[in-house]
Amino acid sequence: MSQRIYISGLGIISAIGNNVEETFHSLSQARSGIGKINHLTTRYRDEFLAGEVKLSNAELADLVNDHNPQLNRNSYLAMKAAKEALVNAGIDPKDGMRTGVISSTTVAGMGKTELYYKDMVEKGTHLEVLDTHDCGDSTERIADYLGHVDYITTISTACSSAANAIMLGCRMIKQGLLDRAVVGGVDALSKFTFNGFNTLMILDREWCRPFDDTRTGLNLGEAAAFLVIEGEEALRKRGGKALAEIVGYANTNDAYHQTASSPEGFGATLAIKQALAMSGLQPSQIDYINMHGTGTPNNDLSEGTATIAVFGDKVPRFSSTKAFTGHTLAAAASVEAVFSVLSLQHNLIFPNLNFKTPMKEFNLVPETTLVQTPINTVLSNSFGFGGNCSSLIFKKA
Amino acid sequence: MDALIEKLKTQIIEQLNLAEVKPADINPDAPLFGDGLGLDSIDALELIVLLEKHYGIKIQDPKDGKTIFQSVRTMAEYIKSQGKS
Amino acid sequence: MNKAYINGTGCISPQHTADDAWFFDRIVAPDTDFMQAIEPSYKEYISPNLLRRMGRAIKMGVASANMALQQAQLTAVDAIATGTGLGCFEDSERFLMAMLNNEEQFLTPTSFIQSTHNTVGSQIALILKCHDYNFTYVHRGFSFESALMDAMMWFSEGKETILIGGIEEHTPCYVELNRNAGKLKNPGNIPLWKQHTTGYQIGEGGAFFAVSQHKTIHSRSVIEGVNTLYKPETPGDIMKKMHAFLERHALALQDISLVLMGFSGHSLHDKKLQEILPDLCETNQVGHYKHLCGEYHTASAFATFAANRMIEKQEIPEIVKINHKPGEGVKHILIINQYLDINYSFILVGQC
Repeated sequence: MSQRIYISGLGIISAIGNNVEETFHSLSQARSGIGKINHLTTRYRDEFLAGEVKLSNAELADLVNDHNPQLNRNSYLAMKAAKEALVNAGIDPKDGMRTGVISSTTVAGMGKTELYYKDMVEKGTHLEVLDTHDCGDSTERIADYLGHVDYITTISTACSSAANAIMLGCRMIKQGLLDRAVVGGVDALSKFTFNGFNTLMILDREWCRPFDDTRTGLNLGEAAAFLVIEGEEALRKRGGKALAEIVGYANTNDAYHQTASSPEGFGATLAIKQALAMSGLQPSQIDYINMHGTGTPNNDLSEGTATIAVFGDKVPRFSSTKAFTGHTLAAAASVEAVFSVLSLQHNLIFPNLNFKTPMKEFNLVPETTLVQTPINTVLSNSFGFGGNCSSLIFKKA
Repeated sequence: MDALIEKLKTQIIEQLNLAEVKPADINPDAPLFGDGLGLDSIDALELIVLLEKHYGIKIQDPKDGKTIFQSVRTMAEYIKSQGKS
Repeated sequence: MNKAYINGTGCISPQHTADDAWFFDRIVAPDTDFMQAIEPSYKEYISPNLLRRMGRAIKMGVASANMALQQAQLTAVDAIATGTGLGCFEDSERFLMAMLNNEEQFLTPTSFIQSTHNTVGSQIALILKCHDYNFTYVHRGFSFESALMDAMMWFSEGKETILIGGIEEHTPCYVELNRNAGKLKNPGNIPLWKQHTTGYQIGEGGAFFAVSQHKTIHSRSVIEGVNTLYKPETPGDIMKKMHAFLERHALALQDISLVLMGFSGHSLHDKKLQEILPDLCETNQVGHYKHLCGEYHTASAFATFAANRMIEKQEIPEIVKINHKPGEGVKHILIINQYLDINYSFILVGQC
């Protein structure tokens, strides 16, 4: 029953590009997309940096060629990236195969709700915004934009969300419930999330510096990224091309604290170990780790400790790419899944920008320049509030 | 000092929604975190906002909270030292 | 997907369900457009140090999860899957209003942290020290169904005991906004399945289930299958999918003791269900349930709770019946839910 799962299409829009090609270009040129805030309205506009998508809502509407006033930024980003993935895979959603859409988001329609909630409460206007506030909205927009769907759901597990969407897609295909799925996540920037992370005092005022001793927090970003995943039978039947294989996944819970990770990285260690066990790979067979590496003091210490717990003194080459895109929350894991596939395709490790000083607690030094080396396997981690820990392992197709 | 301590107790109870606790239950010298009131790191962030909202004191580095929030008395002393009581 | 045996339930709803007694005998029918949950004293289920931070959705979720575990005599599970359409809306709203009213200043982290959609699932994991799988589904009228399906998939992948649930809370402000938007109504004395006007009575609640792959001494009923259907075009599509669903479980309509339908009272949303109702009434005992819990994203979790009670007691109460068909025993209950005429689902609950 259990069949192999391949990635056959990629789609992405983030601070470093509006599609896969632009994204790859920025990654190879070590060009970060984090900068001054342009589109988001907040009193902290000049105080913090962010990884914004470089298009206004009007430009995004043009990009997806849909000017329905009910669409919000989350939906635009999601539609754009999901469509790109499907086109990239060369799939017609109406060809009779069973297609799922499994998306994820944390902020959902809050970016629009926060603009109008006072008007809604005080003046009774803009009440139609209620209909697009929830997490399911952008997923259903994707499904309707693609034109056909046999299964649809949305996951929200904070910053690990998209990893879990990918994992669910794999499981459903393996169980024979679907032939293929469009899986990933989306989060547009909102004042709500900005202020939320600010109250937690984990926003860095400078560029984020994952795994650097002087790191003080993360930069927020926004993005949508989707993958088309297919069972080997479906892929063979339609003569599609595999870009990479998903050979391991795991979801565990740290069960330590509502927001913080345990100092020993218990949940993270468990997730990495379980994903490795499933893949049948030895730790020494992992060529590159795309870390969660948010740049908060807590995450990087916990993740680093977990990495050493699994790999001992033979830690594979690693980097966090958060300094390119900012932390894109629910989308982060699918953004980094796209990066991982690009790593496999081009035999490249993308640099951990802004790193200078190793952390005192351990001797872990990320790759800080673009490295060309054979990459056959990539481990990608994503951890979130509520102790949610997910690890994915990708392999050259 | 004692008046400030009493005021702080009430403000802490309100800010942290400690419905079961009365001001008299809080020993000003007992630790706020761990064994004492049993507060955690989220409460520490709440207390930082309390200082900003009621006393105009801005703490930029959450690590500073560790020394300031040892007990109600250390909090009061810190507020005094900032000339904000 | 494997079957899921129900070994424990916990339900906080607009009815007297928290004590798990036969609530159909003392129905609450509020004369408003909002059916509020009847909440128990939470101190029995949650420690005061945790309670002080929790919004209602979290309290309802954690308490009903606790009830389900107690009943199943479990202190640990292999996975937790929860569903919620709007998540912890009270906390979201609190943070949002504070942000808007204070121009982004003096904000505190607690309501932001609690506003995260996976708070209920992660709070349960924290309390149980459960390091295993933990998912939260947030897809409208598929939120609970997705969690249920996830559990049934895990049972064929080897996990043994799983906690699943659906939670929804509505704040006074959110209800007021929906009222002003013309979405709500008090259905009055006309049965929901007979309504000719738009609007629904909004409800809320939390329902959790401790389920297992194998039958245990605590097993009360079994969830045999679940299926979701996104935007079916015609009533015929629903019937076709329903027959195919039953067939996959080696059943036909005549094997179903009760078809429990999710009429919301909103004539447009209910249109397709109204069209298939006469045929179903010809062949089956048909019932409905949203007059007991109101309309909300995870109302099907309440329906599953109600179905479990009916199967256990082998009785179909008058209050749910749409027609009267003589039948023997309550072997299988088929729940057909709809949410906004967008999300349709089938949940099959059987005797075990």
